[in-house]
Amino acid sequence: MARPKLQAQLAHHPVLRYGLATTSSAIALGLALLSQHYGFRNVEVPLFLFAIVVTVWYAGTGPVILAVVLSSLAFDYFFTEPRYSFYIRRSELPYYAVFVLFALLLAWFAAIRRRVEAELRQARDKLEIEVAERTQQASLLNLTHDTIFVRDMSDVITYWNHGAQELYGWASEDAIGKRSHVLLRTVFPAPIDDINAELLRRGRWEGELRHVKADETQVVVSSRWSLRRDEQERAVAIMETNNDITERKRREQEVESLNQELAKRSTELESINKELEAFAYSVSHDLRAPLRHMAGYTELLQKKASSGLDQKSNHYILMMLESAKRMGDLIDDLLAFSRISRAETQKTMVNLAQLAREALAEVRQDTEGRNIVWKIGTLPDFYGDRSMLRLVLVNLISNAVKFTRTRAQPEIEIGCSEGNGNELVVFVRDNGAGFDMKYINKLFGVFQRLHQSDEFEGTGIGLATVQRIIHRHGGKVWAEGVVDGGATFYFSAPRPQGELWRA
Amino acid sequence: MESVNKLGRILMVEDDPKDVELTLTALEDYNLANEVVVTRDGEQALDYLYCRGEYKTRSSGNPAVMLLDLKLPKVDGLEVLKQIKSDEELRMIPVVVLTSSKEEKDMVASYKLGVNAYVVKPVDFHEFVNAIKELGVFWAVINEPPPGSVRK
Repeated sequence: MARPKLQAQLAHHPVLRYGLATTSSAIALGLALLSQHYGFRNVEVPLFLFAIVVTVWYAGTGPVILAVVLSSLAFDYFFTEPRYSFYIRRSELPYYAVFVLFALLLAWFAAIRRRVEAELRQARDKLEIEVAERTQQASLLNLTHDTIFVRDMSDVITYWNHGAQELYGWASEDAIGKRSHVLLRTVFPAPIDDINAELLRRGRWEGELRHVKADETQVVVSSRWSLRRDEQERAVAIMETNNDITERKRREQEVESLNQELAKRSTELESINKELEAFAYSVSHDLRAPLRHMAGYTELLQKKASSGLDQKSNHYILMMLESAKRMGDLIDDLLAFSRISRAETQKTMVNLAQLAREALAEVRQDTEGRNIVWKIGTLPDFYGDRSMLRLVLVNLISNAVKFTRTRAQPEIEIGCSEGNGNELVVFVRDNGAGFDMKYINKLFGVFQRLHQSDEFEGTGIGLATVQRIIHRHGGKVWAEGVVDGGATFYFSAPRPQGELWRA
Repeated sequence: MESVNKLGRILMVEDDPKDVELTLTALEDYNLANEVVVTRDGEQALDYLYCRGEYKTRSSGNPAVMLLDLKLPKVDGLEVLKQIKSDEELRMIPVVVLTSSKEEKDMVASYKLGVNAYVVKPVDFHEFVNAIKELGVFWAVINEPPPGSVRK
């Protein structure tokens, strides 16, 4: 626009502004003198006023005062009787005064109008900037995946972002102008009056809401409300940001129901465990007593009558005693085995090297007088139940000692080999009787034996015990063997975050 | 025999007649069997200790040692032990639990109640006899029982 442009240019150049005042006044005077010369009458007043108006419009307050002064002087000198003199005749004074007042009034009105217009223009510019900013913000809000909408204090939606459209299925033209709680059929976690009271008090509210989408499905959202106030602190709008937590809620419910199921199972397991305990107790106490009596009375019989019995009868008595003893051993082993499953594990960092020394000491009476070559490598620290791990080593080592009995040069190696990074593997290797790999699945079973009992004694519970202990530590057991070529038994345990193993 | 004169009375609480017979047989070898009083359940044992019921007229005094089975009819061994150890008059009686149970929880419970010894009856008769003899000799002969115990 030309006018504001010219105004803007003039505004910055005082010389131009005052020049305009002088020039317009001079032109008005020239035109007035010219029209007087040609006999036109009473043209000078409108011409001067016109010059003043032009000046005030384009040049502002300072120059218009100059224009008023110049015009007044010119009017006085050329057009007020007596002419060509600054003297004003008394009768001409009112006419002159009216002219000056009218000029001032005009200047004043024009100045006011100019100011108002400038203010308006400024306000419009500000508004334009704000609109630009808002538009930018709105498009930013559209970029977020969060669901954001704004509603006024009577819940009428005034803004609806892209995320809201995506979540609820309503386009912004459908949503804007509707009452949000009606459109979304909001279910509140508390009375709405309480929520609004909190919103007004704190300026914000957070909670979980249930909404119904355009396709009639339900959605659970985590909702955050922020109150927007104007400059007079009046609440004007509420911005609601919602996140779809339907899936999370569903998972939580699933987890909860799984937990309940687990608690139920756990209770069941507990009662089964209790039964098992009662059973074990009964085995421990009630089965042992008759066994003791059988052995006791047989022995009393032997003492009293053996001299009168023949060799075969004495042999029978001996067999009875042996069987009673064996059954006693079996009961003891079975109880020990069941205790391992029932006992709580008390895990600490266990020094396996120390534990191996203790295990060796324990089997000493079986190794005395035998020329066993021991190879004991570096053993790691192991996170586990000390007494249980000790039992593992004792079982494996005593097995190795037992099954190398037939060797002229027995060798037993205890060591540690690298597992697959997340676990460490400990092994016990011997060059003893070994076993046939086709019976490997029987090796760790309870009471399973791969050798005849007159060849190698034992109840067949040792490796089952080893397996159960290692399983309770989250590890694995396995073995390799060759008939008459020795055997290697391995056990491993996971190394959670590298903390539980120290090499 | 002087040693016999010094013998303390042994109170045995055992419900199984075969165990009673075998125990007495084992004690006979050391002439310890005569002073054994046998009670067959927890209630009877407490009756003996408190001189009531069928033991109303017994000569007073506490036994030098008590051999206590845990699994007993009516009042079980742990309950008997609890009553004895919480009674000012009886708590000094040495109590030896003699049981088939190797269960840790029985052991822990007994020691918590203040038992003086815990012996698991060995299945092997030799071991059983030896255990009973050693117990008898230790508690009835070697050990000085608390004042007020009955001696022969």
